[in-house]
Amino acid sequence: MIPNTMIPVLRLLLPLLLFYGCAAPHEQQVVNVYTHRHYDTDQAIYDQFTKATGIKVNIVMADDDELLSRLEAEGVNSPADLIITADAGRLGLAKQRGFLKPIHDSLLDANIPKHLRDPEGNWFGFTMRARVFAYDKNKVKPEELMTYNALCSPRFKGQVLVRPSEHVYNQSLVAAMIAHFGPDSALKWCKGIVANMARDPKGSDTDQLLAIGEGIGSVAIVNSYYIGKLMNSTDPARQKAKSVIAVAFPDMGGNGTHVNISGGGVAAHAKHEANAIMLLEYLCSDASQAAFADGNMEYPVKPGIPAAATLQNFGHLAPDTLDLSMLGKYNAEAVKVLDASGWR
Amino acid sequence: MNARVRLSSVWIGALALFLLLPIGVVITSPFHSSAPEWNHVAHSILPTHLLETIELLLLAVSMAVVFGVSAAWIVSSFDFPLRGYFRWALVLPLALPTYISAITFAGLIGPTGSISEVVYSSTGLRIDIMSLPGLALVLALVLFPYVYLPVRVAFSAGMSPHLDAARMLGGGGIRRFFRVAMPLARPAIAGGALLVAMETLNDYGAVKYYGVRTLTAGIFRSWGGLYDVGSALRLSGILLLLVVVLITAERSVRRRAGQEASHRPVVRVRLLGWRSLAACTGCLLLFVFAFALPIGSLLIDAERTIENARFAQFLPALGNTLFVGIMAATVTLVIAVLLAFAERRSKERSRLTRWTSIGYVVPGAVIAIGVMALAGWLTNTTGVVLIGTIGLMVYAFAVRFLALASQPLNAGLKQQPRAMDEASRLLGSSPWRTFTRVNLPLLRPALIAAVLLVLMEVVKELPLTLILRPFNFDTLSTKVFEMARIEEWRDAALPALLIVLCGLVPVLALDRLLDRRPR
Repeated sequence: MIPNTMIPVLRLLLPLLLFYGCAAPHEQQVVNVYTHRHYDTDQAIYDQFTKATGIKVNIVMADDDELLSRLEAEGVNSPADLIITADAGRLGLAKQRGFLKPIHDSLLDANIPKHLRDPEGNWFGFTMRARVFAYDKNKVKPEELMTYNALCSPRFKGQVLVRPSEHVYNQSLVAAMIAHFGPDSALKWCKGIVANMARDPKGSDTDQLLAIGEGIGSVAIVNSYYIGKLMNSTDPARQKAKSVIAVAFPDMGGNGTHVNISGGGVAAHAKHEANAIMLLEYLCSDASQAAFADGNMEYPVKPGIPAAATLQNFGHLAPDTLDLSMLGKYNAEAVKVLDASGWR
Repeated sequence: MNARVRLSSVWIGALALFLLLPIGVVITSPFHSSAPEWNHVAHSILPTHLLETIELLLLAVSMAVVFGVSAAWIVSSFDFPLRGYFRWALVLPLALPTYISAITFAGLIGPTGSISEVVYSSTGLRIDIMSLPGLALVLALVLFPYVYLPVRVAFSAGMSPHLDAARMLGGGGIRRFFRVAMPLARPAIAGGALLVAMETLNDYGAVKYYGVRTLTAGIFRSWGGLYDVGSALRLSGILLLLVVVLITAERSVRRRAGQEASHRPVVRVRLLGWRSLAACTGCLLLFVFAFALPIGSLLIDAERTIENARFAQFLPALGNTLFVGIMAATVTLVIAVLLAFAERRSKERSRLTRWTSIGYVVPGAVIAIGVMALAGWLTNTTGVVLIGTIGLMVYAFAVRFLALASQPLNAGLKQQPRAMDEASRLLGSSPWRTFTRVNLPLLRPALIAAVLLVLMEVVKELPLTLILRPFNFDTLSTKVFEMARIEEWRDAALPALLIVLCGLVPVLALDRLLDRRPR
């Protein structure tokens, strides 16, 4: 049936198709990581880990929801050993769906504060980012921005900049409010923000910072590490924003500033469990924590490791100690509240 | 019909079914997956997202048609300076992925764009492309060549007798255009508009960045925000319904119009004075905004970041991109050829093979769910691990891009008289031999076009690659994605340019292929 000319082509293609990617198993120790994080810092830390332990780190990087779908499809045959996401909500979801297994490791327990890891040991946070306010210091005084609720005051009408509600950072902020005060007061807050928006939500966190520089609004709700990166940027297009921006750490009803984590958990069907735990431990080591702090402007979780000087200059972070699994529990409810408030 | 022939058509039917399986998983989701948040999705997400989808579609498609048809008309019926360049240069925007173009435009004329800033400080006017109409414009600028290409071919090849007659009867340029050319080019316009519509529906990167709420954005909101894959799949089903409506509309336009096949070239009118200047300026403006401006901006950014760029990272990514692209293009072509053969034999286009085209409009991430569900099921029953192999990626690409390979093949086959097949059969050749010895050799341009189209799309493709790839497997588009995610657009410029370069080769080759037909 197949014409003769095609047979050599097929002969060449078929084995390639089937077996490319299933690299031949050899002696080297490996750990297979599914991660949502996509930073050069991470790669550098993995390289050091390999150097120190001889364990090769294999990576699949994709969006966390897609990674969870992939885990679900793979089931017991999943090659993944360690799952890393940039959102505690997704880690809670992964635990709930049985994609993770509980680990009891004294080193991890010692290095990571209790509220930043799963009580049952399914996941462990290794960096923190805070959702804070960046503001134009020529137009706003810091004492006007003490709480998240302050942004709803008529004082900030037409001044508030924020990205679309589609983004998980906004969703987990609202999920935290629901966890503390219930959906009604979260809805009230969202409506207050929508009423004060300088423009329809669009763009990224960095775009909101640039918009302050352009005078489109005076306050933006953004993640701390984007401000850190902006402040260290030499890009001429970012200098205007850099020169006017200051940072406020708003309080959420006496609980502190909303934080989310990047964290990891050992996959339920991990074939290299010991290696996965070693990598997790390595991510919480002094060296890695310092690298996350200085290289990626994230807050280290390990007590005693200082945040980057840039972040320290912004002021003191008093993180909300809410059990972070609540963020996952209330994420869907947060989306509903956001939809109801008209936050695009 | 002997038993062997019947057997081969069963095989081909099975092949079509095999390609439809992942989409079947999506369509049948109401029967096998629960959607706990469907109530909210149907009442709060669906109405707004459907409305904005339709608004975006109408605006983007109509602008793309205006750009594409007017450019094709000017280029194929008049002579003016630089016409020869514009003829092919206006195809180039196709090499730009929509998300890259959208981000680049935002950097230039977004709220804090470099051009906007200059305009604001000199005139006090704020320019902001980042809105629904703005996004429609960006999409139209990138996608109009889908209209321009087939319409240009229609204008240059098919209709010269009619146009000549109209001219001899004293019809001016504008009158000839609206009264003769437009109606005759309707099928080509409809076909191009359909492609623009499908690309618009499929886009996720650009709509997300511009804050536009399309159905595709709604799918991801349900999936990532509400943790409800079931609702996401149901929304995909609604998206597919919308596409069925569009395909039906396109078909009815096509059916009403007769096919013309005149081979006499159109006599182009030489434009003089201000008319010539206007034609030249119009084409130049379109080219600048659709291609030169975004590329220029990418080049400047790439130049700025080139010192710290890690070529060592990009080279394997480039290799992987080409490897997967060529692999997927080859496999897709083989499948398309087999299906075209089946269609040629069965006289009427079989429903099954027709539906294999639908993968083109399903968002890549949704196809990935279907593909992974199937592969996971296979792994659990047979133990063969498929997720994370290149083979599965290539299969997913074939599911997604088969339409691009099938379309030129079927169009080409339609032009071959069946008498040819019958003669060959009468001389004793089998249907397959007839197909490979008579039909296929004549289809060479269409075959090349098919391979190039798929290659171009795979190079640009992101979501399927991202989720199905093996460990440590980067492509150019995943590299762009990584940089874009950390909001370092400038660092993404270099891999983005490499994607455009990879896309330029097939785009230009495609243009040449179409040129080979009589002008």
